[in-house]
Amino acid sequence: MMANEQAFVIAEDLSVRLGHKIILENINFTIQPGEFIGIIGPNGAGKTTLLRSLRGLCPFLTGSVKVNHQPVTSMTDKQLARMMAYMQQDVNISFGFTALEVVLAGRYPYLEWWQNEREEDRQLARKYMEFTGVTALADKSVQRVSGGERQRILLAKVLAQETPLILLDEPTANLDLVYQEEIFRYCQAVCHQGKTALIVAHDIKLAAKFCSRLILVAGKQIMADGKPEEVITVPNLKKSYGLQAAVFTNPVTGHLDIHTYDSSAEIDTSQIVHVLGGGDSSGAVIRMLYEKAYRLSGGVFQHGDSDTIVARAFAVDVLTGPAFCPIDEALGQQNRTKIAAADWTVLGNLCYGEQNLDNLKAAFEARRLIILEDSPIGERDFTGGEAANLYSQLLAKPEVTVMTTPEFAAWLNRLSREKERLVDEEKQDQNAGTESYRTM
Amino acid sequence: MIAEVRHRKISLFIIMGLLLAGVILMSLAWGQVQVPVAAMFGVLGNQVGLPGFQNMALTPEQTAVIWHIRLPRILVGVLVGAALGVSGAVLQGVFGNSLADPGIIGVSSGAALGAVTAIALGVTANSIYYMPFFALAGSVLAVAITVSLTMRAGKIPVMTLLLAGVAVSMLLGAITSGILTFMNEYRLREFLFWMVGGLDYRRWEHVYLAVGPVLCGILVLCFLARHLNVLVLGEQEARAVGVPVAALRLILLFIAAVTTATAVCVSGTIGFVGLIVPHMMRMLLGPEHRILLPACALAGALFLVGCDTLGRLIIPPAEIRVGIMTALLGTPYFLFLLRRSHQGGES
Repeated sequence: MMANEQAFVIAEDLSVRLGHKIILENINFTIQPGEFIGIIGPNGAGKTTLLRSLRGLCPFLTGSVKVNHQPVTSMTDKQLARMMAYMQQDVNISFGFTALEVVLAGRYPYLEWWQNEREEDRQLARKYMEFTGVTALADKSVQRVSGGERQRILLAKVLAQETPLILLDEPTANLDLVYQEEIFRYCQAVCHQGKTALIVAHDIKLAAKFCSRLILVAGKQIMADGKPEEVITVPNLKKSYGLQAAVFTNPVTGHLDIHTYDSSAEIDTSQIVHVLGGGDSSGAVIRMLYEKAYRLSGGVFQHGDSDTIVARAFAVDVLTGPAFCPIDEALGQQNRTKIAAADWTVLGNLCYGEQNLDNLKAAFEARRLIILEDSPIGERDFTGGEAANLYSQLLAKPEVTVMTTPEFAAWLNRLSREKERLVDEEKQDQNAGTESYRTM
Repeated sequence: MIAEVRHRKISLFIIMGLLLAGVILMSLAWGQVQVPVAAMFGVLGNQVGLPGFQNMALTPEQTAVIWHIRLPRILVGVLVGAALGVSGAVLQGVFGNSLADPGIIGVSSGAALGAVTAIALGVTANSIYYMPFFALAGSVLAVAITVSLTMRAGKIPVMTLLLAGVAVSMLLGAITSGILTFMNEYRLREFLFWMVGGLDYRRWEHVYLAVGPVLCGILVLCFLARHLNVLVLGEQEARAVGVPVAALRLILLFIAAVTTATAVCVSGTIGFVGLIVPHMMRMLLGPEHRILLPACALAGALFLVGCDTLGRLIIPPAEIRVGIMTALLGTPYFLFLLRRSHQGGES
């Protein structure tokens, strides 16, 4: 209740219908002052409608929206315009108005009907145009500027409205990468000053990077609402966007990152594959196997190794040991248990030293072993011949196959295609069966 | 650069003002009855009551030609041209379409129906005021029907308004034609005369009739120009900054319609002024309506009086009516615009 009293925006039990189609149903949320909220969701989920409803531009079927304790339906046009600025998508400005004239329109709610723009209005307009970097375009027709420039002119107009709440509907469409970030960064800055911003964003990664909170809209409802890492999860992405993705913290940027892949590999093979890797050798292999939906385990990698990072990103059950230390007995044992549980094991194109020699030894336990050999073992042996010796023993075993990494990738593709074909044939057989049944 | 633009705009206004004055004087001085320029100024000074003009030797004929025939005709032309120019600019703004003109929401067809009703009833002979009032009532009625057909839940969607305007115009046109088929030839001629707008035989009564509504209408529209600017940015944009879109559209439509209707009822239907003048002014001055609307008033007056003067001078002693002149000059320009907008669409 306490939170509700302080809340700046309260949407309660909101449902919106456009024509005969219900667009939003039972929407509930509260927004505190200073929040920077990204609204994400698939196309046609109702993100724009949600924003328009907050602005009081869509009639509600049920429910209410209050901004600053006042229902939006009871505010006058000018009160609304002094409370929230709204930037819509795809604005088409005809008749060749200049950029300055467009930005000055943002001062409309502050003028009485008989007044002309005052000097302070012009100064404000120029100030915000400078901010979004469009001062030079002031006297240019908005029809003659590029998409990105127009977007920045419109942003300046929205800012010139000087409202505590800013609603932006995909402001980053058509923008260069620099300006995309710039808009998010500016919103973040104004939110730190106490303003509140809602932004409909297509780029989930950018939204996650800058927004303090995300609202995921899908299937007419709010599917998830909270901190970016709470909202952007593999099941949420799958459910809302139908997207096969891995969600992880990018070690380079430190931000939430998403790796998406072809969802045709959804067929669960239920085969377990163990990857023996480490030392930068097996990241690509793990990714390939993950995208083909194999169940994966891995070992023994070193802490902080890029293989470890990849494995973690794909939520692989991975064994790691400290760097520059030999694999201890307990880890070695766990590694062997996983190998025993796996249907087959992949041995990466590793370099061998004292620390990871145990991985090579453990490979002998594999039921079926694929050795990836991109460079000769002689170049990769730093144990004085011991590794090379073990390696040649491995090669002699009948359950061992040797291939290069590209060959391995091709082989995986072939496997998955065959599997799809089998599934298709099965379906056709079933169809044929029902058809022959009908003719009988 | 801004100073330069402003300078150019001001000089354009001055040039148009001078041109208008020139055209008016030319129109006063030239005609079938030869009046010396000195006598012309004499009549003007004498009538206005300027000192020093009382002693000039003027014939009653000269006074009649200048003061009672040519001047009212010119003043009606100025008023009608200004009204059509400004209303056209406003309607193009309201519709967000630079090819809209006052005829499009039923003003002209309503006025025609009103006029033909007045003629059919035979009341036109009683007083010259009857026909204008019938025409005014007809156009206001037509606009009211168009708008009420379009109004839905406090909104006036532009596309629907355009379609409703076309439908209403066709309906009223059919009724007008229906009435015409039952008329005798003399009355038919009277109607035809009115349909092809003209400024001939306009008297001071016509000036008095039009001056109030037209000047008020133009003044109010110029006052609302800043709101029109925001409205023209698009309905969504306008609502986002707090413009009461439906109310503003209604007010602008109504004032523009009454202004146009007043013009139509003193001069008959004159096409193309409301279309071409705003278009040319927008190309020269940009879309800022606070500048555009006064410029349209000036340019509309200039264009109409210019056309009328030309019409009087081309094949004397006969006259080409001003409605025909504007159409003759306007159609090629309109087609040029159409062709250019097509080419713009393709590239």
